[in-house]
Amino acid sequence: MAEYEMTIGIECHVQLATKTKLFSPADNDARDAKPNSKTHPIDFGLPGMLPILNKEAVNLAVRAGKAMNAKIANLSRFDRKHYFYPDLPNGYQITQMYQPTILAGEIDVPTEDGTTVKVRIHHAHIEADAGKLTHYGDYSLVDLNRAGTPLIEIVSEPDMHSPTEAKAYTTELYRLMTFAGITHGDLYHGNMRFDVNLSVAPKGSKELGTRTETKNLNSFRSVEKAAEYEFKRQVALLEKGERIVQETRGWDDAKGKTTSQRSKEDAQDYRYMPDPDIPPIVLSDKQIQEIQSNLPKLPPEYRAEWGDLGVDKSVINSILANQKYAELVSAVLSSGGKKAAKRVANWISSNLTIDEATDEKKNADVADLLALCEMTEKAEITSNAASELFNELMNGATDPRRLAEDRNLLQVSDEGEIAAIVDEVLADSASQKAIDDIKAGNDKAIGFLVGQIMKKSQGKANPGMAQKLIRERL
Amino acid sequence: MANVSRDDVVKLAALSNLQLVDDEVDGLTKDIVNILQYVEQLGELDTEGVEPTYQVVDLENIMREDEVITSEVTTSDLLALAPDQAENQIKVPKVL
Repeated sequence: MAEYEMTIGIECHVQLATKTKLFSPADNDARDAKPNSKTHPIDFGLPGMLPILNKEAVNLAVRAGKAMNAKIANLSRFDRKHYFYPDLPNGYQITQMYQPTILAGEIDVPTEDGTTVKVRIHHAHIEADAGKLTHYGDYSLVDLNRAGTPLIEIVSEPDMHSPTEAKAYTTELYRLMTFAGITHGDLYHGNMRFDVNLSVAPKGSKELGTRTETKNLNSFRSVEKAAEYEFKRQVALLEKGERIVQETRGWDDAKGKTTSQRSKEDAQDYRYMPDPDIPPIVLSDKQIQEIQSNLPKLPPEYRAEWGDLGVDKSVINSILANQKYAELVSAVLSSGGKKAAKRVANWISSNLTIDEATDEKKNADVADLLALCEMTEKAEITSNAASELFNELMNGATDPRRLAEDRNLLQVSDEGEIAAIVDEVLADSASQKAIDDIKAGNDKAIGFLVGQIMKKSQGKANPGMAQKLIRERL
Repeated sequence: MANVSRDDVVKLAALSNLQLVDDEVDGLTKDIVNILQYVEQLGELDTEGVEPTYQVVDLENIMREDEVITSEVTTSDLLALAPDQAENQIKVPKVL
């Protein structure tokens, strides 16, 4: 294993968040819809239909290009890719083989160990999705609700060399595409699907090995697992002196294995030709700029903005799994400053479940969060109480001071009130040993006295102030 | 000079989802060779500096707004065009 190196390139299909399909005006949201209920004669490929390009799909593609730091073509065209399969009524897919809309780009991918890997984007093209097949005993059923859904296929260069890098790349791509509003990003419903191209070669070798393509992975974790499995499988074959067959493989998530599906067609087998129905897309630099203006803040910008908050990189990356939370930290930063933003970032990271799969809708009012930060800062509440109140605010509660009062969480910081308790505790004979210890130089014994004060005040005394008052008296 | 073998025609037929009997393969091989030879005459022209013709109409940016339009043709109308259907879907011989 150690003598081999893997090279990974990834193709990613992203379903665009348009209302209608790429070439037909049928509803593009088919989640939980009855089969074939979201179709138009164009999607059935009936003779004489005239497909017309969806402007919003082009706009989203152009915006996606910006998220990938890619150049946009001033002239792009559509081509027909021919193959026969029941989920493709036309007998061809409309795609962009020769002149795609999105040209070369580049993404900085943060990995788990804190380093950054540059992954170059070869190009990304706009194309129409196929329908869905369900297989039964001796027949298959065709649902064309998904047929014609606009996609962009993002093709990376082979710049990844480990399963973790592949996982990190797909995660970052997901965040870029969802933050920029290109896709709804519902992985369960296949809004983003990944094909992993992987080859293996002896370490230091200048030539790449024969690659396989594992298709249709729909989670970051399955991308990672499939890459791990393919690497081991290919190395085992090479060790036995066998050859790798260039082929398409499928991924069985339950078994954790890839299996051969079909040998890969040559590009010429698809008999590409320009699509005569769809006139070219022509965009001036000015138009491109307009379409790309006011893109929401993307993960790299958040990382730059939060760079000097003094928050751990892992905390930042966990928050970036949820755009709402990222926006919240940013809003706290701009109205409350770095210290408050740091507190909120850490609260989010340690109190909330954040991952791409859960679509958490929790949110809180920025002013309330700032009030909570201030109460914590002034030690009016303990850090446990702060966490408790933070969760309440995120669940829809408001006015943290009132909440703290209602729940009796406010610490007593009134010097006179605490001083009375301090005097009471110091006068107690049970405290004598600790007092002697402190006087003898064992400073740790002060903890016992503070503990007693906290107990007497039912946890509400400000421990810092209690300590100060004890020292003044001894 | 176009060189088309029987195997080329068989492969092309498979890609095009056509089932051919042997006689048809022989006939089509001859036909395709003839067609290619005819078209290859274009190769004699000097096309230096000539833009490729992707489309015969000079249209560009023909796009529509992203608004749902429900077709007057219903799902059941569309499904009725298929040779067979079941559960609101088109029924086809099993493919894998």
